[in-house]
Amino acid sequence: MLLLSLDTATDTATACLWRDGEVLAESATAGRSTAAQHLLDDVDHLMRTAAIEPSQLDAIVVGTGPGTFTGLRIGLASARALGFALSVPVHGVGTLDALLCGDGVDVACIDARRGEVFCKGAGIDLCAIAPGQLAELITPGTSLAGDGAVRYRGLLEPAAVIAPDASPLHTPWARHHASLSDLWDAPEPLYVRAPDADRSPSARAAS
Amino acid sequence: MILAIESSCDETAAALVDDGGRLLSSVVASQAELHARYGGVVPEVASRRHLELCVPVVERALDDAGVGFDRVDAVAVTEGPGLIGALLVGLATAKALAFARRLPLIPVGHLHGHVASLYLEPEPVAPPFLVLLASGGHTLLAEVDDHGPGMHVVGQTLDDAAGEAFDKGARLLGLGYPGGAALERLARDGDHHAHEFAVAMAGREGLDLSFSGLKTALRTAVLAAGGDDSGRADLAASYQRALVRSLVSRTMRALEVTGRDTLAVVGGVAANGVLRAALEQECARAGVRLALAPLALCSDNAAMIASAARFCPALPYPEYLARDAYATA
Ligand SMILES: [Zn+2]
Repeated sequence: MLLLSLDTATDTATACLWRDGEVLAESATAGRSTAAQHLLDDVDHLMRTAAIEPSQLDAIVVGTGPGTFTGLRIGLASARALGFALSVPVHGVGTLDALLCGDGVDVACIDARRGEVFCKGAGIDLCAIAPGQLAELITPGTSLAGDGAVRYRGLLEPAAVIAPDASPLHTPWARHHASLSDLWDAPEPLYVRAPDADRSPSARAAS
Repeated sequence: MILAIESSCDETAAALVDDGGRLLSSVVASQAELHARYGGVVPEVASRRHLELCVPVVERALDDAGVGFDRVDAVAVTEGPGLIGALLVGLATAKALAFARRLPLIPVGHLHGHVASLYLEPEPVAPPFLVLLASGGHTLLAEVDDHGPGMHVVGQTLDDAAGEAFDKGARLLGLGYPGGAALERLARDGDHHAHEFAVAMAGREGLDLSFSGLKTALRTAVLAAGGDDSGRADLAASYQRALVRSLVSRTMRALEVTGRDTLAVVGGVAANGVLRAALEQECARAGVRLALAPLALCSDNAAMIASAARFCPALPYPEYLARDAYATA
């Protein structure tokens, strides 16, 4: 089974070619708001490296977030279009679930902007929460990973244990999405938050 | 055969055009109802809907044309201008479709697309001409010399787009969003001389347009008139007349200044019956040939994008993989 998996929900876009448990090639490209746009460039590079043609793929696996809305959509739109064009299935895996695959990670934590993080793990269900609040929820010594943990290190430590900024634990490696076949689900976005306008339609209509 | 995708605002659309410029299928999924309760297009709501609709709309366009994706030779897509988040959904979809089969990608400008709504069979209109492009997002007058993306803008709106002026007028008259077509219907029962709204920019030099003053005048008149139905119809008719007169006078002036003998009219506002009739009358009087966009291709659609793509450079694989969208021209 040859899989292409990808995740553009965070500022680090990841992609991986994966065959029966073996990583053939993988990439992680960082860059706020630009990483997702370069996704296919990365995928093309992986395919050349591994000498794989798109037509050889058996399925696509994509990170469903949460994360930045636009980045998330670029990944999902790309994955769905690839699946359609190649007539192969497309599976979705939560980006927090991918982070939770990291060695010893208890709680995955993605920067949600607006002073919050999206998090999941150690009995905490997927939610958007202020880092200060999260620090109170976790038991001391809990290991956190993800760009949200890095950004709010100051608020989360010392309650949490967080690897150095450059640690690969903070990246949602696409190899994890490929390996988590038990969690494969429909490739639907996890926005968590309603669109801005949904909160006050009457206010907007009156403007 | 070209497959085109359009997602620049609140329509998700896909279409197939063959090498001879014949339209094989055109699917437009409008989000108007979704945005109605906000009184306008909400970008994040639009982007979410585009993601849901993009692949199904492509699938439907292929089904309607009775062909498989393997028959497609190139993928075209609107790359701007428009809502950036909305454009990126269409662009990601188009790039991935092309990449999967190593097809070329043809990025198309949305405004070029509107003009190219005239280039499709069975009655294509060939440049050169002066074009009036009037829609919810754009209002401009431009000289077009060939089928390619280039155009020379000679006048444009300084504030609201014409379609926006129709929609805002409709909202002031309690017709909901988008209300341009509803305003035209209401106006049929009204007296268009009941109110004399000044024609914007009348008497001013240059070829630019302005509609925001008209909107303010309507707001004042609505408040003064109270709410009875015949009063509203009169207001709608008078407001529409002022908008149409403004567009027609600037357009006729542009024809004089540029010396063009053909006028093309495209964009959502080109579907307005009063505007079409007024331009027919004025063009006949001035001896100008008039080409009106087909009604089905006035508002945003992907057929016009596929049509424009026939006259744009195709980017071979892998040149387009990092291609970006743009919000403003
Ligand atoms: Zn348009």
